[in-house]
Amino acid sequence: MNVRYSSLARATTIEEEARGFGRLRQRLLRAAVFGALHNSRLRISVVVLLSLAFWGGLYFLFREGFAFLASYIGQASELYRETVEIIFNIFFASLTIMLVFSAGIIFYGGLYRSWETRMLLTLPVRAERIVLYRFQESLFFSSWGFFLLGSPMLVAYGVVEGSPWLYFMLLAPFVLAFACIPCACGAIACLLIVDRIPRARRYVVAAAVVLVIAGGATIAWSVFGARESDLLTAPWFQDTVHRLSFSEHRLLPSWWLSSGLLEAARTQRLAINDFPLAESVKFLGLLIANAMASVVVLVLIGGASFRRSYSALYCRHSNSRRGRFAWIDHRIMTLIPFATSQVRLLLVKDLRVFRRDPLQWSQFLIFFGLLGLYFVNIRRFTYESHYAAWVNMISFLNLAVVGLILSTFTTRFIFPMISLEGKRFWILGLLPVERDTILWGKFVFASVASLAPCCLLILLSDVMLRISWIVLAVHQFTCVMLCLGLSGIAVGLGARMPNFSERSPSKIAAGFGGTVNLVLSTLYILVEVLLTAPPCHFYVATSRDPLAARFADAAPIEMWIGAGTAAAVLIGLAATFVPMRIGLRAFRTMEF
Amino acid sequence: MIELEGATRTYGAKVAVDALRLTIPPGELFAFLGPNGAGKTTTIKMLVGLLRPSGGSIRVCGLDVVSQAREASLQIGYVPDQPYLYEKLTGREFLRFIADMYGLDARVAKERVEHEIRRFELEDFADYLAESYSHGMKQRTVFASALLHDPAVLIVDEPMVGLDPHSARLVKNLLRAEARAGKTILMSTHTLHVAEEIADRIGILAHGRLRFLGTVSMLRDEIKQEHLELEGLYLELMSQNLDASQSG
Repeated sequence: MNVRYSSLARATTIEEEARGFGRLRQRLLRAAVFGALHNSRLRISVVVLLSLAFWGGLYFLFREGFAFLASYIGQASELYRETVEIIFNIFFASLTIMLVFSAGIIFYGGLYRSWETRMLLTLPVRAERIVLYRFQESLFFSSWGFFLLGSPMLVAYGVVEGSPWLYFMLLAPFVLAFACIPCACGAIACLLIVDRIPRARRYVVAAAVVLVIAGGATIAWSVFGARESDLLTAPWFQDTVHRLSFSEHRLLPSWWLSSGLLEAARTQRLAINDFPLAESVKFLGLLIANAMASVVVLVLIGGASFRRSYSALYCRHSNSRRGRFAWIDHRIMTLIPFATSQVRLLLVKDLRVFRRDPLQWSQFLIFFGLLGLYFVNIRRFTYESHYAAWVNMISFLNLAVVGLILSTFTTRFIFPMISLEGKRFWILGLLPVERDTILWGKFVFASVASLAPCCLLILLSDVMLRISWIVLAVHQFTCVMLCLGLSGIAVGLGARMPNFSERSPSKIAAGFGGTVNLVLSTLYILVEVLLTAPPCHFYVATSRDPLAARFADAAPIEMWIGAGTAAAVLIGLAATFVPMRIGLRAFRTMEF
Repeated sequence: MIELEGATRTYGAKVAVDALRLTIPPGELFAFLGPNGAGKTTTIKMLVGLLRPSGGSIRVCGLDVVSQAREASLQIGYVPDQPYLYEKLTGREFLRFIADMYGLDARVAKERVEHEIRRFELEDFADYLAESYSHGMKQRTVFASALLHDPAVLIVDEPMVGLDPHSARLVKNLLRAEARAGKTILMSTHTLHVAEEIADRIGILAHGRLRFLGTVSMLRDEIKQEHLELEGLYLELMSQNLDASQSG
């Protein structure tokens, strides 16, 4: 039998393949930018302005922080240098862990769960190329937050330090080379887990998260909680600095990054043969070499295992889901007696979708697990009465942090909920259920899912900090308002600005609607915290400090607390109901 | 040419494709029929390299689809049941990308893209972003991309879904013409009258096994129902199989 072959096709070289994918990226980027500029200039302007404002705000905070350190400790002192080193090392070491998980999860979604990969696998494309292509995407999506958070801090430090212009020029290559290493580690871990243990991958990821949290708890315990000590005293500070020195391990990429940046920022030579810039470039070289090596290892492992693991993943036996965890759903539903039966059914549906998607719950676990870890390790400090106002401030900062984490959660998971209905929207659209009920169902889901962990975390923080009962009550109340308001904003805007063409929740969250949601949520948190924090601050200051109490009258401060709380209620109600009203109006007329 | 030698694919304990033996020579249009879950799509996924057989071997133009996956895919054009296009690329840009991946020279690629755009009547929308396409438009664009590199083997999963009558006729004529030109064509479908109209041979799959392999007239002989069309023959065969499995 004569075999006929294609007369035109031939295997492309690696360079041709790379050029083909490069052109693909360029065209996709150009179309996206052109489309955005052509069709939604207002959106782009708003996003750019909001991002700039966010960046500017962070820059201001960091600059003030570094200036405060420099003025109080003394910029030329050894302690200042050590403190900045510790801040950099801890910041980048924490980000390393976050990047490993974040990149691994995004890489998994892109490589094993996308239609694009499925299409690419049927083309004569090397498996290595698909892995690299997906890795680049996960690197971008997992590290944009890192750039947004890290760059204002690094620029602020350079400005306070009066660093040479080369420091600022080196920031981008340093950060990019560094980000590659944890992201590649996350991607390699993902490939190995799916290839070696496809059936147990969820349990492996969950075990890894628990291990990281437990490991972090052990470290944090050793740092902060070995014994009860006097807060903010010199021995306490020295002891803490000493205990945080684990982040200076010479094999940690985060240490290479912070050392390289600190060298580049240094303006003074300590000896005749001391060349800070050369030291910095040495660390940059180390980072680039390791970044390239880790990407090469990723590509080699991907080339050897990707097609096999992809097939194995889709050929695994699918267990029957019937009844396995149904009791959890029903038990949770009994906790929401005020919801109608229709809302409860919608809640069960959303809960099941969330539970069965490891991409969603693993990030939820990381977000709140790490926060819980921090609060558990606050430890019950003993402190002098004149530190009470400081501790109170820390407690409000904790409240703001919980709010900010919750806002990333609502942006990442709640905002895309309507968009993710996507092509399935007709199912909801045709149900004999009021559309308002559907949206309120999402709101109840978001509120209930966020209320329990957030209120618990705040309670934990307050108990650890030995906050007075009235401040504790204000915190709990503010937390409830934050949960309701953030849920209202995310559900309302999610219905007002859906993106039905996108299947990836991280891409929906990174889009225009998601950005607006995040910025509005951040503003809302700031307003709520600022409305309740200052009255409590003065209340604590006057009630704990006899000297301050002599000059202040308690009655107006209590009134002030009342007024602040009332304003917080009004703004909280507005943040809940105004976006929901906008969302409901859009949702009622939505076509499918 | 497509050769399946005892190809098997399991999903845990469930056998989706059970020791399938099948050879489809060049120039033949073969229609794969069978109920949902019979193993048609799994077989196609193994052929195009998405899944690996857990037993047996699959060869396309003599090339093993596991150990020579890339070489084999150069010979295959694949039209999936759910067409995927980049939303932010135009149809023409998508076709150029596919041409690049199959290593077509720039001049040839340009000619072939224009040829397929004309053949599938994509001129009116080829320069618009794919996000504005209907399902039928996407399906025709994916058909064009599958034929750009003049593959030796064309694999089509549910070709008629979402096509209007004009496009359906276009696709049917095209499949017949490509088979006449010497291509091996494997088509999976539930649209039995299309299979009857254009297929040279049919294979009926149930529970991962081939229940029938041959022409429609051979099936009539086997069922002993000369007046029935393929739909009736198919249903009769399936009910016989059901009876046999219940009694056995």
